[in-house]
Amino acid sequence: MFLRRPDPNGRKLARWLLAPSVILIATVVLAPLLFAFFLSFQEAEPTVGGINMRFVGIANYVHHFARSDLFWPAVRVTVYFTVVSLAIELVLGIAIALVLNEKFAGRSFVRAIILLPWAVPTVVNARMWEWIFAGSEFGALNGLMKVLHVFPPTYDRVWLGFDVPLAGAPVLGPFLKWMGVTQALNMIILADTWKVTPLVVLLVLAGLQTIPDSLYEAATVDGAGFWRKLRHVTLPLLKPVLLVVLVLRTMELFRVFDIIYIIMQYSIRVLGVLTYEVGMKFLHFGSGAALSFLVALLILGLALIYIRLFYTDEGY
Amino acid sequence: MNALQMRTRTKGKTALRLKRAALYVAVAAIVVWTLAPVAWLAISSITPYSELISDRATHWLPRHPTFANFRAMFDLSRETGERFVYAIRNSMIVASSVTIICLVAGTLAAYALARLPVRGKKTLVLSLMSIRMLPTIALVIPFFVIVSYIDYGFMNIGSSFHLFDTKLNLVILYTTFILGFVIWIMRGFFLTIPADLEEAARIDGCTRLQALRHVVLPLCAPGLVATGILSFLLAWDEFLLALIFTRSNNAITLPLFIAELGSQYITAYDQISAAGVMAAIPPVVLALLFQRFIVQGLTSGSVKG
Repeated sequence: MFLRRPDPNGRKLARWLLAPSVILIATVVLAPLLFAFFLSFQEAEPTVGGINMRFVGIANYVHHFARSDLFWPAVRVTVYFTVVSLAIELVLGIAIALVLNEKFAGRSFVRAIILLPWAVPTVVNARMWEWIFAGSEFGALNGLMKVLHVFPPTYDRVWLGFDVPLAGAPVLGPFLKWMGVTQALNMIILADTWKVTPLVVLLVLAGLQTIPDSLYEAATVDGAGFWRKLRHVTLPLLKPVLLVVLVLRTMELFRVFDIIYIIMQYSIRVLGVLTYEVGMKFLHFGSGAALSFLVALLILGLALIYIRLFYTDEGY
Repeated sequence: MNALQMRTRTKGKTALRLKRAALYVAVAAIVVWTLAPVAWLAISSITPYSELISDRATHWLPRHPTFANFRAMFDLSRETGERFVYAIRNSMIVASSVTIICLVAGTLAAYALARLPVRGKKTLVLSLMSIRMLPTIALVIPFFVIVSYIDYGFMNIGSSFHLFDTKLNLVILYTTFILGFVIWIMRGFFLTIPADLEEAARIDGCTRLQALRHVVLPLCAPGLVATGILSFLLAWDEFLLALIFTRSNNAITLPLFIAELGSQYITAYDQISAAGVMAAIPPVVLALLFQRFIVQGLTSGSVKG
């Protein structure tokens, strides 16, 4: 075919094999990315039959950093969402993985179903939890609370409401309020955690299986209890896996849009939602592009850390 | 055996039993935590609407279980039913096309990056990796503007060709986003296969492509399965681009359909649960059947690489 002339190193073949992917990615990702960069210095609004553009320099960026009342609150609430979700996912993920690493009857069944939440589509997950959190007598969580006698029979909580948790507490209350934390946000973190933790569990489980039993036996002989084994054997040896989880999850969490938009529309403005609102609802393309560029830069920074950690040249 | 030894022995036994009991309590909690929410969705899907909106504390299971919620989804005489059938069909077409294109193009590129000499390989791998990390939200605005321009251009020359609200547009956009991911994972798989095997095949007179087809790919079958399933799940799950680029039955996908159900004034939890169960079945079945491959794929793509 295209290899009529000799190609001893496979240099030409490589070019042919790479061509479709590289062309596709260059036209559909790189070109739009450059265009977004260009747009971010324009004031761009749609008009009949096209877009009105006017060069405004760095005004869009200045607007977000200094003038807008929405940018910094969005950064804060996104940071809260990311940090709290990540902490819960890691603790819960490691705990579940440790349990599933023990021997018990029905282990293969439990390990088989553990991935189920992860496979539920994001939109289905969002609407399922919205239904569980329904703030009236037919909400499942309210029903559960009544069955467990946590709530009196006539009390129904509005789970997806905007009251600040621990609002009365000194320091912490005002701090949470400043971060933009609401009851609804915490419930969404719960819903998102349910879906994603299985992934953490499976990655940690895979990591646990590489730790030789002899290390634990040695630790037992030395008189180490559960917590000391966890701290001095398990966690240090899990470090590579935990780093992967940490960086990958931070990137995913920081870009959150779907679940928050589906459940709350524009009332919890994380960076993803704010970008969508500015760019696609109000159609301020320039300002929105600037915002999305900032989000992309933050995430690419994290990606660089990830690549530094895990890129290897093996196999040349 | 003296009394002291006896006592420590029984004590050890009780401690062990307590430990077992604690383990089983933990396992039970994990199972409930994992299954309860989906179980509730499944129960809701076979409960009539009138029973869904009753006091939960006393009313969990349907008194009159019914498949009416599911039947309503396929009722073509109603707008919701018609839209659902289109949505499921579109989702199938888009996700399968994306999976096939990504597997073919991605595998070839990954092979080149794992085995062949490519100028600027490191830069290429790193930029592919960064693209896989790039959030969709960073590209939706330029996408939207560019697609509008393209469609406007075609309209001006009198052509009816357009990208907005078409499956083709979704396939192109999804493919590009998922391609970087496929290349990254498949490259990880190729690197785990000893190059000697190919060398042997080539000494026996195979060309590189023949060696790839007959030696390397069969060994990578688990990787191909994992990557294929992951691509399918990613495409099946995508919401933001569908939200921006689809309107009509021509291109609406399941995630968008489910997100749209109900409104400010009407809750539609009968429809949401029935449609949600059906939308979750393909990915859940795939994930549970091929769990081993998927975990392998995810770890190979993220830990090694």
